[in-house]
Amino acid sequence: MKNVIKYGSTIIMYLIMVLFTVMTIYPIVWLFIQSFKTNQDYMTGSKLSLPTNWFTLNYDIVWNNLNFNTFFYNSVYYSIITVIVVVILANMAGYAFAKIDFPITKVLFGLFIVGILLTIQSILIPLFVMIFSAGLFNTRLGILIPYIALGLPMAIYLCTDFIRNGVPDELIEAARIDGAGYIKTFVSIVFPMCIPVSVTIAIISFIGTWNEFILMNILTAGDRFKSIPAAVGRFSGSLGSDYGRLFTSLSISIIPILLFYIIFRKQITKGVAAGAVKG
Amino acid sequence: MHMTMKTQKKLSYALLVLPALVVYLAVVAFPTIFSVILSLTNYNGGLIFGNPDIEVVGFTSYRWMFTEPTRSFYTSLRNNLLIVGVSVFGQIPLGFILAYILNQKLIKRGRGFFQSMIFLPYVISPIIIGVLFNAMIINPRSLYWEVARFFNPDIQFTLHSNPMLPVLFVILWMFTGFYMIIFLAHMQRIDPAILEAARIDGANEPRVLRHIVLPAMTSEIVTCAILAISGSLKTFDLIYAMTNGGPAGQTRVLSLFMYLSAFSGAPNYPLANAISTVMVIISIILIVVVRWAAKLFDRHGGYGK
Amino acid sequence: MKKLLSVLLAAVMVATLLAGCDSDSNGGTSGGTTGGSTGGSDDPVAITEVVELRVLNYYDMSAAGALEEQSVIWEAFEAANPNIKIIREDEFEESFHDSVNAYAAAGALPDVMYAWPSGRSTTLHSQGLLKDLTPLINRDGLASKYIALATDPSQQIAGYQGIIPQGVTATNMFIANLEVLNAVGLTPATTYSEMVAQVPVLRDAGYDTVIMPNMASWVMQSCLYSLIVGRFMGDGWHERVLNGETNFTDPAFIASLAFVQQMYEDGVIPASSLAIDYGEGPGLFATNTGAYYIDGDWRVGAFLTDSTTGEALISPDRQDNFVIGVFPEIDLPGVAIPGRTNSAVLGTGWGINANLADGSPELEAAWTLVKWLVGLEVQTFRLRTGGISTPSIVGIDYGALPLEPLQVSLAGLGAKYDVATVVVDGAFASTVYEPLNEQLQALGLGITTPEAVAEIIQAAFEAWQATQ
Repeated sequence: MKNVIKYGSTIIMYLIMVLFTVMTIYPIVWLFIQSFKTNQDYMTGSKLSLPTNWFTLNYDIVWNNLNFNTFFYNSVYYSIITVIVVVILANMAGYAFAKIDFPITKVLFGLFIVGILLTIQSILIPLFVMIFSAGLFNTRLGILIPYIALGLPMAIYLCTDFIRNGVPDELIEAARIDGAGYIKTFVSIVFPMCIPVSVTIAIISFIGTWNEFILMNILTAGDRFKSIPAAVGRFSGSLGSDYGRLFTSLSISIIPILLFYIIFRKQITKGVAAGAVKG
Repeated sequence: MHMTMKTQKKLSYALLVLPALVVYLAVVAFPTIFSVILSLTNYNGGLIFGNPDIEVVGFTSYRWMFTEPTRSFYTSLRNNLLIVGVSVFGQIPLGFILAYILNQKLIKRGRGFFQSMIFLPYVISPIIIGVLFNAMIINPRSLYWEVARFFNPDIQFTLHSNPMLPVLFVILWMFTGFYMIIFLAHMQRIDPAILEAARIDGANEPRVLRHIVLPAMTSEIVTCAILAISGSLKTFDLIYAMTNGGPAGQTRVLSLFMYLSAFSGAPNYPLANAISTVMVIISIILIVVVRWAAKLFDRHGGYGK
Repeated sequence: MKKLLSVLLAAVMVATLLAGCDSDSNGGTSGGTTGGSTGGSDDPVAITEVVELRVLNYYDMSAAGALEEQSVIWEAFEAANPNIKIIREDEFEESFHDSVNAYAAAGALPDVMYAWPSGRSTTLHSQGLLKDLTPLINRDGLASKYIALATDPSQQIAGYQGIIPQGVTATNMFIANLEVLNAVGLTPATTYSEMVAQVPVLRDAGYDTVIMPNMASWVMQSCLYSLIVGRFMGDGWHERVLNGETNFTDPAFIASLAFVQQMYEDGVIPASSLAIDYGEGPGLFATNTGAYYIDGDWRVGAFLTDSTTGEALISPDRQDNFVIGVFPEIDLPGVAIPGRTNSAVLGTGWGINANLADGSPELEAAWTLVKWLVGLEVQTFRLRTGGISTPSIVGIDYGALPLEPLQVSLAGLGAKYDVATVVVDGAFASTVYEPLNEQLQALGLGITTPEAVAEIIQAAFEAWQATQ
């Protein structure tokens, strides 16, 4: 009897998990299926059915008409530089906040914490005006600086927390007694010890930067400095949509991040879990 | 060599903190203050400095925002609160339940697979998700309605009367996996021996959950609530792509309301800046409330570190 | 009224052309509007060295024929004009408008740019950022090659010729689906009451009466309400509002809003149309889910054969079952013009940066490009692919074009109405029409009343007036 209950509940548990998995995966599978339909097939046929014939020309047309090479290059460029700079700056500030005793820390740390809850949208206009008058409109730098700044609050919060609880004072003291300055201690001891939290920060800011849409759209004109999310609306406008190609452009757009996720899924889920709740 | 310890300490501190501080102040703090100032003027594009047409007009834009007849501000605020609701009372409990199931010994195979799959939506751009779900849910011939009609051919198309429902559903879909991952990581830290002992003592699952797992997770639940609330206020891309606030502005949130005021059609920067300022104030109030709540939980639960 | 007459003229002209008149026999009639031209006598400047032109193009990849543009429009021009090198930037939707605003603010507008005659391009016109094209039009004697409306400066928002439009747009296109109507034993309704009487018959057979993709808020205002308000308020109503003779709380205006509400209540337009994405409308209609379809005349392209897929939403052999006309007569009390009106507006077109100096090779090159972009070949191409429905140039040989039956039916649209009234978003500022767009949807959702909407629009209008 007990075995029956156990067996039954195992099945129920699995069913629940399978149900949720299907619910998350199906929309993405559906998207890829639609990308092989002609616009006419999509509009007149059932949304549940497979394409009447697999129309691969959509991929040709979308690839040749959108600057995916440029978009992809920019996405990688923005994401990698943002990640590197945010990780370094956050480690530096985190170390100072956690281990160098100054009364002003409380104020500064609080200032960064406020930034976690602030929304980008609420500063969009003054930021646009500032970037424009600084001559940084439609430049890579003009996008990178806001990206870095917006990644900092969460990163500094995580770093400070990690260093405060994870790097023993004795270790730093020992190094200081050996005559190492604060900076040297940071480079030789603290930074290497912070690799776990740095990974978390890197993942969070990579995903955030990779998917960022609104700032990139407002701070650039033309395709030169746009990143992948810009491709999304190109086959769908206020005067009509070409659905087959719309879904094709969406499919091409999510392939890189899907591959990235498939390869690093273990590190990503672990890293996010460790980062989102204080270590 | 001749530097005193104190100077060296000060210099190092400055060197470590300043780069982050400067970038942050320039890009986040300064525009925030700037936005508050602009909200009190009639600045509406063009030159900011040395523009003779700019006047201080006080709270005109605020008055307009709170009293204008279409009541867009209140609709947007209500929608933001709905999203907070679905985050705190939808994503978090659901994420907790899924994590709890995954943490059982019952699920032996595929734990990593389920975990990765349910978390997947979190890494996809909200813009893409918005366009995708617009096609999947909203139209009368969408996937959702085809499935619904398969089960009940007489079902009436009524989505237009509850326009926020599909948006809330998608938000639930996007973030449940995120909370599941966090809860799971912390459940795995609970000493299995304690759970085992309780079970041997004859405690059934609900009792184990209530008396051991839940209390151990209080502080994580509070943290998740903080994340959920702040995330909810930031919702923008998804709705922008999925409904653009329509029909009749019924799915607008504050950030979209601000964006549309500033960047669509004739710009109304003063109004947009006023909305920004109110959003900043709401954020600050939330921070205070949440910190207060966290302290309260810490004191009563004692599950801080 | 001059404006309306000229719209009418344009429409009739197209209809006549279609009836068989070949090429340029109509040229002389429209030349009169530009008589007494100022000194546009300079001769064309020779372009001796290679001139580079920066061009800002609005590129809608989802539009019919869009993918042929590169070769048919741009490569063909460069091949024919080896001395002109084009540096083109393609933009779309909001990113187009954002770019224009940014370039204008930075004083870095391109040499040749796509623009609207009003609406979203108002700044370009009203700040004089576009070159006045009238002298060039006169110099080259182009007026006779275009319909009168296209070269009439008073048609553009700042009263000068900022762009040459590539067509005229009728914003209401009402298609009756005979396949559906015949299946339930009905014929196309000619009055609103007839249509209301058809609702239960169609509903019992599982059909919607009207399909209209109403989720985007501009659709109702542009494709139907502009026509309705014209019929209720009468010809020239917008001018009477603008000069204070009447206002938005006028009973006739309220009646026009009440009619929108009534259409939803009568089930003529289902409330579920508010959840239909603009892109999905043609697909729903083509698969016979409803008896009538409402959209703008530009949308006919969506039903035609797509050259890249070889498929059509409505295949040419079915197209004779679809009859294009205007919205039926509104046979209700309080209507100023019962039937046969439409709402129309100048189409988009091309303009030149005002900074290009008179007599410079740059201006000559830019002008050569603009003439090409709104010229016979390009307009013929756009007409053939369904990109435009009423060209602004005269002399297109319709007989030589492989038009599908629906395109032929559309070309007859102009003959189906006598009066064309304004489109609200072409006649008022966005601070006025945007609340209207939204409130028209709110009427459909049943969360407001016509009186309340009228108050909101009047308040918005007064706020706009105060800024002028």
